[in-house]
Amino acid sequence: MVIECAFVAAACAFLPPYSAAQGTPYFVTYSHRLEEPGNLEIEVNPVFASQGGGNDFLAATTEFEYGVKAWWTSEFYLDGQSTFHDSTLFTGFRWENHFRPLMREHWINPVVYVEYENVSEADKTMIEVTGFDSQSDHAPPNAVLRQAKDHEMETRLVLSSDFQGWNVSENFIAEKNLGHDPWEFGYAVGASRPLRLVATARPCTFCRENFLAGAEFYGGLGTSWKLTTSGTSHYAAPILGWQLPSGATLRISPGWGLNGASHHFVLRWGVSYEVSGFVNRGKGLLR
Amino acid sequence: MKSLPILICLTLTINFALAAAAQNRESKLVRDVLPAIAKAPAEALAWKNPYEGQPDAVLAGEKLFRQHCAECHGEDARGRGRAANLRSPSVQNATPGELAWFLRNGNLRKGMPSWSGLPVQRQWQIVTYLKSLH
Repeated sequence: MVIECAFVAAACAFLPPYSAAQGTPYFVTYSHRLEEPGNLEIEVNPVFASQGGGNDFLAATTEFEYGVKAWWTSEFYLDGQSTFHDSTLFTGFRWENHFRPLMREHWINPVVYVEYENVSEADKTMIEVTGFDSQSDHAPPNAVLRQAKDHEMETRLVLSSDFQGWNVSENFIAEKNLGHDPWEFGYAVGASRPLRLVATARPCTFCRENFLAGAEFYGGLGTSWKLTTSGTSHYAAPILGWQLPSGATLRISPGWGLNGASHHFVLRWGVSYEVSGFVNRGKGLLR
Repeated sequence: MKSLPILICLTLTINFALAAAAQNRESKLVRDVLPAIAKAPAEALAWKNPYEGQPDAVLAGEKLFRQHCAECHGEDARGRGRAANLRSPSVQNATPGELAWFLRNGNLRKGMPSWSGLPVQRQWQIVTYLKSLH
């Protein structure tokens, strides 16, 4: 985790050509804002969770998000976790793609999302909650959890709207283990807004226009055998984001489980940096 | 002599084609705007810029331009590669409303992203700055 954060900090320090992102501050919910074409965003998103009947843990994703086209973003994730009084391990990778089927802005903007996951059951990043996911899934020791591997396909229908400075996004999640198991469903809903809508004339670091505030709610919806909101976990989490003039973005989100199946407390934070014209820069180095 | 009618027909056809092309060029010259911007709906043409002529909005727009747009369009806004020269008549001839609409929608197929993630106020500040480049 420390290495990942140091990597992003180094990227922030030594990669001067940046582009300011116009993203949303969510950790679980996706909006219709895609990466600008040719840009690469490097992101580290750790999560701490209190564990009932087990050891608390710290998990993290390192994310590489690339704008292939203005209507297509591709992301690659590396996941890991460290469970207190247990062990630290790499838990797998994910590859996801977001597509905007409509080329214009509408009241509601759909995005189609497809992800392939190759992770072990020791993965605790909780970047989506589906099926009957509950905190008890994370209680066994890592040595036991890491034995089981999941090859999963996840799809989302993202519906997202911008209105008077607010972004409101709804995600409907359907996940399928490619080997067995029924379809698992989940949801994520988020709303956020900059603290000030109008930009000031001078560059500033601590002014309100650089801060975003919002909240997100996410949880499971059972499986294709039993669609339900009970027996699965649900969370509510306020979010604060800070877009620094240097091009880096910092986010923090304390979250609380809304029922007994959820972790009581979840703290997420993230740091990201957007490198503009990534491919062109790479070609330039090879010339 | 047999080829005379054919020659006359050919000449007339060429004349008509040239006349049509000239007329078409003339109509484009009346309002020379980038085709992607010209796709803005009629109501967008009439949108009023709430910050028009405000020096602070120009400065704020310039700041936003450097943060979000200069990467593709260049610090001087003269364009790079496929990114348009924003000082050119085909951009400057657009109404503020058309520019705001284009900023909001982008041209996703051609690589121009949608900037709807920026609050509307900031979009207008960028438009104010772009119009000040004229």
